[in-house]
Order: sequence, then C-alpha cells, then structure tokens
Amino acid sequence: MNAHDLLWGMTPAHLPADAPAWAVDAISAGHPVVVRRAIAELGYVAVGVRGRLREQRFAAEMPLAAVQRRVAPEALRDVVSSRDLPALQALAQLRSVLEQETWGVSGSAGFELATGIEALHARSDLDLILRTPKRLERADAEDLLAILDTTVCPVDLQLQTPFGAVALREWASGSRRVLLKTASGAHLVLDPWQAVA
Amino acid sequence: METLSFEFPAGQPPKGRALVGCVGSGDLEVLLEPGTPGRLTIEVQTSVNGAEQRWQHLFERIFQEQMPPAMHIDIHDFGATPGVVRLRLEQGFEEIDHD
Repeated sequence: MNAHDLLWGMTPAHLPADAPAWAVDAISAGHPVVVRRAIAELGYVAVGVRGRLREQRFAAEMPLAAVQRRVAPEALRDVVSSRDLPALQALAQLRSVLEQETWGVSGSAGFELATGIEALHARSDLDLILRTPKRLERADAEDLLAILDTTVCPVDLQLQTPFGAVALREWASGSRRVLLKTASGAHLVLDPWQAVA
Repeated sequence: METLSFEFPAGQPPKGRALVGCVGSGDLEVLLEPGTPGRLTIEVQTSVNGAEQRWQHLFERIFQEQMPPAMHIDIHDFGATPGVVRLRLEQGFEEIDHD
C-alpha cells in the first residue's frame, strides 16, 4: 500500500468523534479515502478523507482489515472520461509521453477517474506520480518538465523515490536542496534518492 | 483563493533576495526581498480559505524564536502543512543570508 492509493471500505464508525460532518457524509456515501504518507498505528493505514471543497481534507486512520478494494494511481492512467476539462485533456496529451514509464494519476483527477464523482473543475491542475526507484538525473527532469509544461493545464508530477516524494518541478529547478516528503514528515535534502539521515 | 497580510517587528534588511519552494499541491512558493528597516511584511495568497489564524500563529511561533530580518515576503500557498511552511521559510532565510 502506497501514498495516493485509493481505498474503499471505511465506514463512519472508523472516524473519530471529532470528524467534521462533511467527512462523515463522504464516508457514508461510500467515497474512497486516499492513503497519506504518514506512519499509522500497527494494523492501520494513514488516510485522508476528501470533501467537496479544497479545504475539506480530514486526516484519519483506517483499519487494514476494513480495506475492501484498493486502486493505485497506475490503474487510472488509461481510464477515459467523457468530461471535457483541461486536466483530462492534459492527461490525454501525456499518455504517449509517459508510455515507457511507471506512472499514475493522483489528486482530484485520480479521484474522479476512480469513482466517477466530479472532483475536477475547469481550473484544476493535473496531479501525476512517477515511480523512480532509480535516480532521475536533473537534466532528464528538466526535459520531462519542459514537456509537461506544454500541456493545456499545470501538471504537478511527484517523483516517488524509495524514500519519499519530491516535485519534478523542484528537482528540475536546480535548487540545491529540495523538499522530500516522507512518512515521518517533510525534509529539505540534497539527494532524494538517499535515506534521510 | 484568499490574500492575507501580516506584519511583524524585524531587524535590519538583508542584502539579497531569494525564491524558494515550488508550485504544487502541499507546497508553497516563497519570495523574500529586502524591506523597510524594523518591519517584516508578509502577503499570503492561499488556495485554502479560512486559515488566517493558523498563519498568524505559525508566523508568531517562528519569529519569536529569532528576530527576523526586515523583509517583504510573498507566499503562494498550495495547501502546505505548517511543517512545510516552516521548512520553506527557514530555507529562504538561509538563502537570503548566503547571497
């Protein structure tokens, strides 16, 4: 189970008592939750509940035993939508570019493609992940970013290294230190392909 | 989208400017420029509405540890956690010192 995977099977009983009403509604409606990059208690997975509004994100923990279905971002890259939105047009443009890679769709686009629930709007970015078990050289990152920046909407691609996630945009920017998001929090690092000291 | 303004007491202006961070979910972009002596002004553009108190408290906590230089800071926030905001500001302060 990895960050950005969508999980079904959570019920309102799994939510803490202080969960906001919109989160209870989302779970009651059978919406999946998103695996967060965080450490959970044994037997649990750290998840986020998505509401309709952008600020409606609620961090919770789901019992692993309750998971009925899991969809990874990779499973969503070939899902076709009938909606005509910039984020989905950008996705269509990028499929051939990323063909040889292990990549997937996350964020609102991933949620919408997995559920059919309208989460995207006309100004949504496209969130993608790219599995990079081996180091992606900065020059290659620049080349890839240049291609992503030709699409019709902003694309936020997060490189998934063995130690966490780093934004392609930042890795390509030449910034000496970059933000690596790990299960134990965010760190500024020189090399996202090295364990955080 | 919301624009928030903050002001804090500060020391002397730094020489350089710095741009750190990144446009993308869960992150923020921070532009730090020399400001008026004694004043630190911050403008936050955020995609998360209703978070003014949270920013105020976060800045207070960061600046009570050490008097910041006099700057104007422009922040474009894309739903960053307080931990990420703190890291990016620290990174910005370091870069403004070095250049």
